[in-house]
Amino acid sequence: MTASETKPRRATRALLTPDLPRFDAGDLDDATRAALAELLLTMADDEFVLGFWDSEWTGIAPMLEEDVAFSSMAQDEIGHARLLYEMLAQLTGTDADAIAFGRQPGEYRHCRLLDHPRTDWAFSVARRWLYDTADAVRLNALRHSTFAPLAEIVGKIRREEAYHLMHMDIWVRRLAGGGEEPRRRFERALARLWPDALTVFAPLASELRLIEAGILSTSMAELADRQVEQLTAILSSVGITIPGPRPSPAGGRDRATVSDSFRWLWTEFTMVHRLEEGATW
Amino acid sequence: MTDDAARLGEGAEPDVWEVFRREKDGEPMRHAGNVRAPDAELAMHYAREFYSRRQESVRLWVVRRTEIHDVSDPDLLKPPLDRSFKKPGGYVMRDKLETARRRASGEDAGP
Repeated sequence: MTASETKPRRATRALLTPDLPRFDAGDLDDATRAALAELLLTMADDEFVLGFWDSEWTGIAPMLEEDVAFSSMAQDEIGHARLLYEMLAQLTGTDADAIAFGRQPGEYRHCRLLDHPRTDWAFSVARRWLYDTADAVRLNALRHSTFAPLAEIVGKIRREEAYHLMHMDIWVRRLAGGGEEPRRRFERALARLWPDALTVFAPLASELRLIEAGILSTSMAELADRQVEQLTAILSSVGITIPGPRPSPAGGRDRATVSDSFRWLWTEFTMVHRLEEGATW
Repeated sequence: MTDDAARLGEGAEPDVWEVFRREKDGEPMRHAGNVRAPDAELAMHYAREFYSRRQESVRLWVVRRTEIHDVSDPDLLKPPLDRSFKKPGGYVMRDKLETARRRASGEDAGP
């Protein structure tokens, strides 16, 4: 008999993050619950997918210190995703791991901005900067949510995201002002991402219900306006012109149409889960 | 843009920054190690990632290594002549300490 057989294996599945406030999903009516579930899924998938994209830099970032910093920020996003998936699971009576790892690629609802391959460092910086600044606008519209457990976790997430924003701001200024090559690469990355720049604010099917219920304070269209103002101000402060006309928040594709690069990422991050579904680790 | 960023060209080596950390309130700042960074802003971020990523510090100091004044001259630190007369050996402190403690606690107003 081996040691592992004598000891009961710890069921990590049951270990929820202590940051998740307990709540009764029955307090919400069906329509509101469904609307909230849609919102949580898009937010969780955004954080989850960005976390995995950026973790691709682990071991190969421009320098060791940035490698550790960028990887740590990627882990933060997975942590936020975990919190949001667990809230969603509690809301819908399902399992967070099953939502995170048990879906087919086409069932993920991350925004189009996060549906591109890693590419070069400038591209990953541009993508994370566009996402973090947009996410900050979205979180700001949720911090006084009438759904108190959401307002509570958004408050905590915003405190971590403040550091991410500072870090990305440093990198945007460095790339924009760091000489010809970094600037050219950053501009090229922005141009490529620009059509998807506002897709964090792609309209949600049940957006109206969220606003009526006071869960979300402002419409996605209005949040997209705020993001355009913010991006214009930051880019002009570093002497970079907006790469093109204002893109549509809906982007060219909806959240359900995923790229081949995302399909590849999916095979990577679900690899262990698919080895033995339902296993306890 | 900072001056630091401007002076960094391609292939430039980032500076080394020494990091000090305080583990708990009331404890002294202790040397933690160092990070490489092109400017103070990134040095602070990297110090945070290396020395408080798991919430193990309440305060960090980051100092550019070239700003540190180094004292390592053996003639200053380990002079060659006998220095034993500067050591407190043979000097009995116990009674004096006891008196000082009593005085501090107000039991003895002193002479």
